[in-house]
Amino acid sequence: MDESSENMSAEEQLVERLRDPSQCRAAFGDVIKLYSEPLYRQIRRMVQTHHDADDLLQNTFMKAWQSIDAFRGQAKLSTWLYKIAINESLTFLERERKRNNISIDDEESAVVHLIESDDMIDGDELKLNLRKAVASLPEKQRLVFNMRYYDEMKYEKMSEILGTSVGALKASYHLAVKKIEQFFSENE
Amino acid sequence: MSHNDRETLRGFSRDDGMRVPDGYFADFAARMQAALPEQPWEAEAAGDAAARIAPRSFWQRVRPYVYMAAMFAGVWCMMKMFDIMRPAPASFTPEGNSVLAEAISDDSFMSDYFITDVDESDLYDNLYNDGFIPASFSY
Repeated sequence: MDESSENMSAEEQLVERLRDPSQCRAAFGDVIKLYSEPLYRQIRRMVQTHHDADDLLQNTFMKAWQSIDAFRGQAKLSTWLYKIAINESLTFLERERKRNNISIDDEESAVVHLIESDDMIDGDELKLNLRKAVASLPEKQRLVFNMRYYDEMKYEKMSEILGTSVGALKASYHLAVKKIEQFFSENE
Repeated sequence: MSHNDRETLRGFSRDDGMRVPDGYFADFAARMQAALPEQPWEAEAAGDAAARIAPRSFWQRVRPYVYMAAMFAGVWCMMKMFDIMRPAPASFTPEGNSVLAEAISDDSFMSDYFITDVDESDLYDNLYNDGFIPASFSY
């Protein structure tokens, strides 16, 4: 049995336990342990700061727990959790834009400011510049780039999560890479 | 990822450089699990499990009916008690009322309002005496 089929069966077992009321809480504990790190990274790359990512990760799991009845295993568990996490992140960013009266055009400089003031980061300047380059992307391209580049997620899974065709995602990723390239050539 | 894209990002690590406090994920899992509210079906599941472990005794089965019967008996007793405690209506006797006593002692009042054995011929006499002429009366 290869690794992916082992993972698949582990997720199926987890979903079975989530459906059993007597085991659901313990199974959800395992879900938290299994998915907190990848979801955290996905959220943090969107909102930049640890504090906000921590809050949004809690909201994500809380919403998942509250709507666990609605989850019947039609979608993959990880896909469902990613959808919640991304919705939470996008809602948060929209709320912050309104709260701070920032237009989408001005968002880049605000995000760069957040990245520069983030103290929970290692000192690698190249990584910092890549984060700034990614921050210069439009929201959807940023999401696609993060999922594809950092998480090495398959386009098919990204398509399920984001509800966008694989072709559109590939084009979006390609555009994102071109913009990052442009960012570095302009900032050299 | 296309060949060109790989070329562009060559030299970058896939590590995003973002750090978390030590033990954050272990602490987060414990914190999150403790914060999860109880679901309604969890109590039911716990109840079902308890029910499976210990079968209900005779008293546990009849207890709701006994409680209901006791409640109805209590309501009946309460209404009965209110009925007993309700004050009797005040007596309305001629001796207790000076106006009524005076009226009764007056013969004309009694004959006018209470004496019902009226003789028809006396009635006609009275009418004639009062000047009533039957021929002038028309329906």
